[in-house]
Amino acid sequence: MMSQKGSAGYVGKRVLRVDAPAKVTGNAVYGIDIELPGMLHGATLRSPYPHADIVEIDTSAALKAPGVRAVVTGKDFPCYFGDMVRDQPFLAVDRVRFVGDPVAAVAAETEAQALEALEKIRVKYRELPAVFDPREAMAEGAPLIHPDFEKYTRNIPASMVPHTNICVSRKFSLGDVEKGFAEADEIFEDSFSAQALSHVTMEPHTAIAQFTPLDGHYTVWSPSDRPQRLHKELADALGLAHTRIRFIVPYVGGSYGGKNTLRAEAIAVALARFTHGRPVKVVFSRAEALTATQTRLAAFMKLTTGVRKDGTFTARRAEIVWDNGAYISNAPGVANRGVLTILGPYRIPNLDLVSRLVYTNKETTGSYRGFGTTQVTWACEVQMDIIAAKLGIDPLTIRLKNAYVEGDAYINGQIMRDVRVKETIEKAGREIKLEKDSTSPSPTRRRGKGIATMLKSTATPTDSFCAIKVDMDGGVTVFSSSSEIGAGEQTMMAQIAADAVGVPLSAVSVPNPDTAITPYDHGVSSSRTTYHMGNCVQQAGRDVRKRLLGIAAEVLATDPERLSLFEGNIIETGVGQRMTLKELLSKKFNNKSGAIFGEGHFTPAGNPVLEAREGLKGISSIFWMFATHAAEVEVDTETGVVKVLNVAAAHDIGRAINPVGCEQQIEGSVILGISNTLFEEFKMENGRILNDSLSDYKLATMEDLPKIVSIFVEAEPDREALAVVKGIGEPAAAATAPAIANAIYNAVGVRIKDLPITPDKVLAALREKDNQKGR
Amino acid sequence: MIRLKAFSYFEPASLKEASEILTQHKGEAYPLAGGTDLLVRMKREAIRPAALVNLKRIRELNGIQSEKDGGMRIGALTTIADIENSTVVHTSHPVLAQAAGVLGAQPLRNLATIGGNIGRASPASDMAPSLMVLQARVATEGASGPGEREIDKVFAGPGSTTLSDGEIMTAFYFPAMAPATGAAYLKMGRRSGGGDCALVGVAALLTLGSGEARAVRIAMSSVGPTPRRANKAEAVILSGTITEERMRDAARVAAEEAAPITDMRCSASYRKEIIKVLTFRALQEANQKAQGGQAT
Amino acid sequence: MKISIDIHVNGEQYPAEVEPRTTLLEFLRGTLHLTGTKEGCGLGDCGTCIVLLDGKPVNSCLVLAVDANGRRVTTIEGLAEDGKLHPVQQSFIDNGAVQCGFCTPAMILTTKALLDKNPDPAEGEIKQALGGILCRCGSYQKILNSVQAVGKGERK
Repeated sequence: MMSQKGSAGYVGKRVLRVDAPAKVTGNAVYGIDIELPGMLHGATLRSPYPHADIVEIDTSAALKAPGVRAVVTGKDFPCYFGDMVRDQPFLAVDRVRFVGDPVAAVAAETEAQALEALEKIRVKYRELPAVFDPREAMAEGAPLIHPDFEKYTRNIPASMVPHTNICVSRKFSLGDVEKGFAEADEIFEDSFSAQALSHVTMEPHTAIAQFTPLDGHYTVWSPSDRPQRLHKELADALGLAHTRIRFIVPYVGGSYGGKNTLRAEAIAVALARFTHGRPVKVVFSRAEALTATQTRLAAFMKLTTGVRKDGTFTARRAEIVWDNGAYISNAPGVANRGVLTILGPYRIPNLDLVSRLVYTNKETTGSYRGFGTTQVTWACEVQMDIIAAKLGIDPLTIRLKNAYVEGDAYINGQIMRDVRVKETIEKAGREIKLEKDSTSPSPTRRRGKGIATMLKSTATPTDSFCAIKVDMDGGVTVFSSSSEIGAGEQTMMAQIAADAVGVPLSAVSVPNPDTAITPYDHGVSSSRTTYHMGNCVQQAGRDVRKRLLGIAAEVLATDPERLSLFEGNIIETGVGQRMTLKELLSKKFNNKSGAIFGEGHFTPAGNPVLEAREGLKGISSIFWMFATHAAEVEVDTETGVVKVLNVAAAHDIGRAINPVGCEQQIEGSVILGISNTLFEEFKMENGRILNDSLSDYKLATMEDLPKIVSIFVEAEPDREALAVVKGIGEPAAAATAPAIANAIYNAVGVRIKDLPITPDKVLAALREKDNQKGR
Repeated sequence: MIRLKAFSYFEPASLKEASEILTQHKGEAYPLAGGTDLLVRMKREAIRPAALVNLKRIRELNGIQSEKDGGMRIGALTTIADIENSTVVHTSHPVLAQAAGVLGAQPLRNLATIGGNIGRASPASDMAPSLMVLQARVATEGASGPGEREIDKVFAGPGSTTLSDGEIMTAFYFPAMAPATGAAYLKMGRRSGGGDCALVGVAALLTLGSGEARAVRIAMSSVGPTPRRANKAEAVILSGTITEERMRDAARVAAEEAAPITDMRCSASYRKEIIKVLTFRALQEANQKAQGGQAT
Repeated sequence: MKISIDIHVNGEQYPAEVEPRTTLLEFLRGTLHLTGTKEGCGLGDCGTCIVLLDGKPVNSCLVLAVDANGRRVTTIEGLAEDGKLHPVQQSFIDNGAVQCGFCTPAMILTTKALLDKNPDPAEGEIKQALGGILCRCGSYQKILNSVQAVGKGERK
C-alpha cells in the first residue's frame, strides 16, 4: 500500500519543516502579532480573594476614564462555559472562586488606557472561607465551592458526591484485589504527589474578538490547539448557531495542552459584545498566564501493590485525589485517563482504582502534555524501583518480567496490538548502560542511573475531517483544523498529502485553520493528530488523486487504471510521462481557472481492535503508546543539587513520519520533564500564587540541557506507515521524572516521592539517611 | 500584557544637572542606569516614580581604568558585561569578572550596570560581596559636592542606601590586590546557569604569607537585609594556619552569623546549609588562587 | 509629554515621537510593526524580545525607546540580505531547531551576536549565551546543533 505508485516517499524522510522559513524570518504571524483596523485593547480586573461574594461593582469612574470604550462585568454578560461541565462564568457573577478569577474587563483605545481604567473600578467583596488542599476540601464541613453544581449543564456522566466538593468520583475494579494481596509475598504501600505545573507557552494567552451587531456574528482570532472544540464551547455557552461564530487560528506560540479552552477568548468575546463592532484584543500578562489560565492537576496518590518474591505482580490498589481547582475544564478526562494507567504498562491481574476530582479555591486545571500520565507514571515507576530494590531484582528485569506483550489484554479486555514496550525498556537500558555503575567524580558528587517506563492511550474514538484542493497550476492546499502548535503538524500533513496526491512536497501548502473554512477536527490533543489527521489527509489525497486521474484519462483518452501521478507528472504505464498536472488542469479548465477537491473523514469508531468487555469500550484506545526513559544524574551531596547528565529515550512510535519531528518531540519532552521534575512549582500563600513571574517560576534553560539520545522503536518496515503510526507528543513527557528520581536513588540512596525534587528535599533526605545510619 | 505607567523623563548631560533634578523631585525621581531592575519594579508596580533621570548620557560615568598604584576605577554606568569581559578587570581584580559573569543572563548583563546593581541595594546583589572583599570605595556626587565612602557603609537595608536624595554614585575605586592574594565569588541559584537570583552568594579573599592568612575577607549576599561581611568567620581563618578543617570551621561560623530569611525561593535553614558549603568552597578556591602566586 | 527620537533600525532611520514610557519593544512592535520581535513576559525573564542594540543582544522590553535614541537596532526582520537568509537562519532550518518558533527570532539574533564575536564558541559558551532565552518546546539540543553547524561552516 505504501509503495503504491505515485508515492515519492516523503513519509518517513527527514524533511525540513514547512513552517520554518516563516518562523526564522519573523514573518510568521502569531496571535499576539495580529492588528486589525479600529482594534481596541482589553484588560481584566481579577479577584484578590480566593473565595468571596461580590457585593457591589462600581464601574462608573472607569467608564469615564480616557480612551475607555466599554466596561463589562458578569452582570452584563451572565454566560457560562465549560466543555464538560458548564460551571465557569466569562466574568464572575456574584461570586469569585480563586485569586485571579476575572471580575470585570475594560476595552480602551490603548492597552495602557485599559490597564489604567481597571484601577478605577471599585469592587466590594464579602470574603468566604476558602479551601486549597483537595484532601481538606473533601472533608465534611469544608466550604462548598459550587453549591449549585447539580444545576450546571453537563456533558459527562454525573458522578459527583452530593453536598461535597468532589465533582467526579470514579472507581474501577478488575479481578479480586484482596485475593491478589493474599497471594503476594510482599505488599508495598507508598504515597506520592505530583505538583501543579504551568504550561508556560512562550506566547501568553491571547485573543481578538469582533462582534458585528447587525448580523450577530462573533469572529475570534485565537491561537488554540483545538479551534473546532472552542468554537463549539462558545456556541454552547452563548446559545448561538455554529454559523454565527468563526475561529481564525494564527501560528500558535506553544500550547502543550494549555490553549484548549476559552481563556483570553472569554474576556475578548464578553468585551466585543459591547464595542459596536470594533474588535478587541486581549493579551494576558505573564502573571495572568501563570495564575489565571489553567495548570496541570496536582495529584495525591496512594499505591498499595502486592508482589511475589520473583517480582510478579498480584494486585494493586490505587487511590488518587486530584486537585481540580475552581472550575472544571477538562480535568475529569485527565483524572479518568490518569487513574486507568496507574498500573503502567504491566500485567496486574487484580486492581482497585479509585479517583476523586475535587474542587478547590485555586486556578483551574486541565490537560497538560501527558494528560494525567505524567502524574501516575511518577507514582507507578518510583514504586516499581522501590519494589525492585527490596526484592533484589534489577530494575530492567522486573519491568521486562511484567511488561505487556503483543496480544495481552488491557484492563477492559481490549486486546492490545503493536506492543513494543519491552523493546523500549531494553534499548533505553542498553543506551545508558544501566547494568554498569556510574563513575562518580568525587565523594560529594555522586552519579547514578535510573529507568522508568510508561503507557498511554489516545482519546478514542475521535473524528478528523479535511479537504484537499488542487488548483489549476498543480498547487495542493490542505484544509485542516489541526493547528500548527509547534509540533510539526503542517509538515506532517504536507508530507502525507504530497505522497497521497503524487506531487512534490514544495507544491503543498497547509494554511492555518479557520473554522468557517477548515472542517471539524477533534483537535491537536491526546497525541492523536498524526494518526487521525494523517490518515484523513491521506484519504483526501487519494480521493483527489483519483479524480485527477479520471480527468487525465478523459483528456488523454485512455484507461485511468493505466495512469498514475508522480511528483506532479501524469505517467502512463508503458508509455511514460504524458503531461504535467499543470498542463492537465490548464486543459481541463480552458486556461481560465478552477480547482479539484478531495475529501477525507477518518474515525476509528467501529474498528474491531476496540472490542472490549461490556460497557468498557469507552476506554479502549486505537493505539497504545509506550516509552522508556533512562537517565544518568549527578547529585551534589553537600547542596542537594541534582544535574541530569544523560537521557536515553526509547519510544514505540510505530513509524516516524518525519524523524526530525519525532526527535524534536522527544528532546523537547525530556527538557520539559527535567524542568517539571527539578525546578517547577507554585508557591502559595492563602490561595495567592507568589511566584507569578518567570524569574521565580523556573523553567529549564539551555544550561540545563543534558545529552539526549532519541531511540525509535518501529513496526515492521513492510507495513503501511499510517496504519502503524502512533503519537509522540505526550508519552515522552511522562517517563523522565521517575527516571531521574530512580537515578538519584541509585546515586545517593534516597527516595523522593513528592515532586518537584528540589535541592532542599534531597539534602534533607540525605541527612535523614545519615541519621538513621548513625543510630 | 503589562505596561509602564507614565512618568516624566530627563536626560541630563552633566552630573550636576542630574543631581539637581533628583534633588528637586525629593525621592519621586529615580536615576535610570541599565533599567533591568528599575523598569521591572515599575512594571510590577512595586514603585511608581514620577520621573526618571537617565544617567547614560553622562560620559564620565562610563569606563574601566587601571590606576597607577595597581588599583582600578570603574565608572558607575559601566555595564556588567563590560566588567565581565574587561582585560583590565581580569588582570587586576578578576573576582569582579567572576561575579559579573553570573549576574543574570547575558543579554541582561549587556544592559545592567555596576552602579545600578549597588544602588538597588538588593539583599541578593551579585556584585556587592566582591566589592566588599576588595574593599571598594564609592565616589558620589551630590548637592553638597563630591563624596566618597567605603562599600561597607553604602547599604542601609533592603532596597535602601545611605545616599541622600540627589546623591549619585559616580565610580568605584578598587585598591590594588596584595601579592599572594586570591579571591572567589560563588553563588547558588535554582538552576544550573548563573542567571538566577542568588539563593546565597559568597565572596572570599585570602592573602597568604608563610602558610597563614595575612588577610581574609568574606562577604555574603541573600543572608540578611543587606549584603554583609562575615567577621567572625574571618576571625576563625586568622586564628591559625590554613587547613581544610579551619576553612570548614570558618564556613560553619559564617552560617551561624548570617540571618537569612525564608521566602518563596527557599527556606532559611537551607540557606544556612548553602552558606556553609559556598563559604568553604569560596575559601578553598581563593586559597588555591592565592597559592598560584599571583593576585587571581 | 512626547520626545523626539531617531533610531536606526535594520539599516533605516526611523524618526518618531514617543512617550517616555514606551519601551523599545513596544516601539518596534507597535509603531514600526516589526512583530518578529516577540513579547513573552515584559520583565526580562523569557528573552523572546531580544534584539541587537549596537550589535549586542538585549531584552528590548527593558530598554526605553528614548534610551535607544541614536543607536543601532537589528531585529529578525533585518537579518536576511537581498532575500538571502543569514547562515544562522539557514542553519536553524536545516538542523530542525524550529518548533513553535516563538523564541526563534531571539535565539537566532543572539547566536548571530555570539558568532560575530567568536566564530567557534565552545559548547559551554553557546549554552551560556543562549541560556537567557526560554524555549518551552525544548528545542535546545537542536538549537545547540544549529549553532555548532554554523560555527563549523565558517571555519572552513
